[in-house]
Amino acid sequence: MNTLVETMDKTTTGAISSADLAKDRPSSATVGDVTVADPRMTCRSVDVWYGAKQAIKGVSLDIGKNEVLSMIGPSGCGKSTFLRCLNRMNDTIDGCRVTGSIKLDEQDIYDKSLDPVPLRAQVGMVFQKPNPFPKSIYENVAYGPRIHGLTNNKAELDELVETSLRKAGLWNEVKDRLDQPGTGLSGGQQQRLCIARTIAVSPEVILMDEPCSALDPIATAIIEELIDELRANYSIAIVTHSMQQAARVSQRTAYFHLGDLIEVGETNQIFTNPQHKLTEDYITGRFG
Amino acid sequence: MESSTSDTTLAKPTVDLTGGHTVRRYDQELAKLRSIILQMGERVIDQTQAAVAALIEEDESQAYRVLDREPLVDYLSLDADEEVFRVIARRQPTAVDLRIVLALSKIAGEVERAGDKAARIARQALELRQQETDGVLVTEALREAFQALDDKACCMFERSVHAVTTFDVTQALAIFENEPALYAAAQALREQLSASGSDGLVPRQAITLFHCAQALKHIGSHASNIAEQVIYVALGQDVRYRNREILIETLRHHGY
Repeated sequence: MNTLVETMDKTTTGAISSADLAKDRPSSATVGDVTVADPRMTCRSVDVWYGAKQAIKGVSLDIGKNEVLSMIGPSGCGKSTFLRCLNRMNDTIDGCRVTGSIKLDEQDIYDKSLDPVPLRAQVGMVFQKPNPFPKSIYENVAYGPRIHGLTNNKAELDELVETSLRKAGLWNEVKDRLDQPGTGLSGGQQQRLCIARTIAVSPEVILMDEPCSALDPIATAIIEELIDELRANYSIAIVTHSMQQAARVSQRTAYFHLGDLIEVGETNQIFTNPQHKLTEDYITGRFG
Repeated sequence: MESSTSDTTLAKPTVDLTGGHTVRRYDQELAKLRSIILQMGERVIDQTQAAVAALIEEDESQAYRVLDREPLVDYLSLDADEEVFRVIARRQPTAVDLRIVLALSKIAGEVERAGDKAARIARQALELRQQETDGVLVTEALREAFQALDDKACCMFERSVHAVTTFDVTQALAIFENEPALYAAAQALREQLSASGSDGLVPRQAITLFHCAQALKHIGSHASNIAEQVIYVALGQDVRYRNREILIETLRHHGY
């Protein structure tokens, strides 16, 4: 939304900048500002190869503090691959090679001396399909803090489990059956249990890979409301195939196409007036 | 800033902006909405020309025909509203599609109000006939002045309707460029009416004709408003309330 001063300025000048108007850009260059004023993670010139095939091509992108960044694009565009680079999940894939720089609070997460296990606590991940451990609801949440040594005694652990379940909006639904299996919950509840499990290890960033694709609209709405609440304390990067979801939950949106980051910008702008034709064609359903 | 800021040539739309969706039914729904508005526009052009003819030729039957046909434009505007609701509810349009739907909704309102102006001119023509006492009311000079204003208003309006067919920025700019001539023709007519005591018009008749002149000028203004929406669709820029001269110069500089 333009301020009154900006509007008056336009009234006076009538000018429109070329940047406002341009639709066609070189496909190799990202349209929009990939940086943010207050970044939690900074990625620069990231390339990813699966063997000889390049899946990500020189992507630079920041994830800001207390923001939800959505990543959209057609299947195979590299958005999930890029997401998985952010906590080194791609390390587990044979033949996957990552170059460039990815930093969490100025720390290079691909530094050879860095242990990826605590990194994955700092940069937690929620997957497409809810995947609770075959343990009780309590143990699903308590497992991470226990192995990372985040609590000193049972009382502290109980408190952390309760806090995490509350933050995930699940406490009132499970507080009387914490000893029952997590797998016995509904799909939406299981996904919130996975979010509680992620929160329990005090992450800075939460990565979500299509977290609602297996959920019904009501469970989806509850997760989306939760994402909005979690933003107060965490940075969130979400990959979604639902453009309406990206429009609803995120402050910034990044559009990927064939391994390139085509455009990034304020979500409002991306969904009302994207600058690149590929972005516009994708979000208006003209291909993909 | 690590992103590209390279300037590139503005691409003129070479394809129908409403088309190209994977779901072809969506194309058809947008095309239908636009087609309703084009129908409205064509009717309003006919209505305006008939209303002005009724006025300057002092032809009551033309005026009654305009008033009889006025509801057709209103009914079409209801159809347009229904299509807008349907597309928003079913398709959740984004980006250029969202701009098309929002702009066509506003354009439908502009066209409907332009139709009201044509009907107003027809009503004033009938009122003049009732006021008329002796001889010819609209002199040759007044007739020419009305015809000149009508030509400019109708030309702008017709052009605006054509601009909607392809969301053509060049045509929209041509409408803006016609504004000074419209205002000059309206001013010339007003001055002629102010000095028309010698033509035998009583004040009430002069005021009635003045209202007709205003209605015609407003039809031209509706054309300009439609042109603003055309630019909004094509370029994603809201150009309302911007300095026209600089706007025209900027867009001409970009090849439009």
